Amino acid sequence: MIRIGNASGFYGDRFAAVREMLEGGDLHVLTGDYLAELTMLILGRDRMKDANLGYARTFLRQLEDALGLALERGVKIVSNAGGLNPAGLAQAIDKLGLQAKIAYVTGDDLRPRFPEALTANAYLGAWGIAECLKAGADVVVTGRVTDASLVVGPAAAHFGWDRDEWDKLAGATVAGHVLECGTQATGGNYAFFTEIDATRPGFPIAEVEADGSALITKHDGTGGAVTVDTVTAQLLYEIGAPAYLGPDVTSHFDTIQLEDHPRGVRISGTKGSPPPETLKVCLNHLGGFRNSTTFVLCGLDVDRKAELVRRQLEDAIGADGLTWTLARTDHDDADTEETASALLHATIKTADPKRAKAFSRAGIELALASYPGFHVTAPPGDGTPYGVYKAAYVGRHEVRHQAVLPDGEVVEV
Amino acid sequence: MRVPLGAIAGARSGDKGGDANLGVWVRTDAQYAWLVGELTVARLKELLPEAGEVDRHELPNLRALNFVLHGLLGEGVASSTRFDPQAKALGEWLRSRHVDLPEDLL
Repeated sequence: MIRIGNASGFYGDRFAAVREMLEGGDLHVLTGDYLAELTMLILGRDRMKDANLGYARTFLRQLEDALGLALERGVKIVSNAGGLNPAGLAQAIDKLGLQAKIAYVTGDDLRPRFPEALTANAYLGAWGIAECLKAGADVVVTGRVTDASLVVGPAAAHFGWDRDEWDKLAGATVAGHVLECGTQATGGNYAFFTEIDATRPGFPIAEVEADGSALITKHDGTGGAVTVDTVTAQLLYEIGAPAYLGPDVTSHFDTIQLEDHPRGVRISGTKGSPPPETLKVCLNHLGGFRNSTTFVLCGLDVDRKAELVRRQLEDAIGADGLTWTLARTDHDDADTEETASALLHATIKTADPKRAKAFSRAGIELALASYPGFHVTAPPGDGTPYGVYKAAYVGRHEVRHQAVLPDGEVVEV
Repeated sequence: MRVPLGAIAGARSGDKGGDANLGVWVRTDAQYAWLVGELTVARLKELLPEAGEVDRHELPNLRALNFVLHGLLGEGVASSTRFDPQAKALGEWLRSRHVDLPEDLL
């Protein structure tokens, strides 16, 4: 059995979780997911400003705090916090001066092939991580690998799985899918939250067995719950058809068996089959600039008030790229001002940053010249760039998945 | 009896690019048999009129249905002008919709 914990479901998740997971009980490996489609865009903008950035900076600070503890306890750290710059992150961790053996995985960055994109990253699988761990790494950082690979890689390295052991890989993928969003598996954001203590859920752990089955659990004394229902909720998160495609295996979610266990939930029975011939690529383009504001429309004539302010704003800057939604959150004859109010959301999306800025100026200039009771929930800002996400697919052999081992040796995966 | 779907069903929703996914599950076999018959694509669109093209997948082993709502989020979370651009609360919206439920399933 290998005991793999998770301490992060996104860039911005509970900072203290790395230390909590290391101090809370035994682990072999601690993983953290920092990358979402949107995060790649944020990191892409970081990288535009400074080519040395492009990784999840909070992860570095978490290691500054807790890497010594991990080394002392012999817990391996595996994370995709490298984002767009895993080599840069590996270097920054090395500079912490703890003499940890650091390895990283590259090859996901496909910008030369998609030059018009701000970010272009293939979803790599688990085998680069497995190479790094087999070479004795204490810390493995990657760029865009699938979230589940953070669990599959350590399990595959530990048990020495072959690349065509589909059921085992599928089982570990399912465990990884459960762990990848942190506390969403342990009672966070959970539909039946009133039935558990959801105040401060602990982060999840998968005890993966040699056959790929797993026990989902959490450290003793932590909040939240691990039940068939909390695990089911997370299994259903961000999936499509039951044949769940990944870079290493296709995992059949309609074969998963869940069973209550005194320490959590057993996952078994998952069938796997070969993965598709292509890898998915996450592309982010700069779409333009956006700005938004919310007008509060209180009391009578809500529709007419909305019409008036819309006409005024469109006269000032033109209707192009504007979107309006009127949320009738108001109630008749309400006994609080807030429940007497409707919300009119206005958003502009434009290629021209000046127009995004003009939107806020025009909105503010209406303050004494519009509908009775004019106010906004917050004054509009200058506008911000926005990204457009697209998926693309490339042949798996067109991607050079590489593991850079602690001694600097580069292994083709 | 007329009750919110969430009286028996849990849900979790999220984004994949411009598509939203919405998983719905129940906790007994009898409830699942009802859910499969009741929550067709057409019925889901009645309950969530903002939905466009929808695929439904059955996961009887989890007593769950997974819906993919194509194009609900436009060009993805960063560009969507939707009130909930990542479809995080789509499931809770569905759970709040009222349905006719046989009393013995409650």
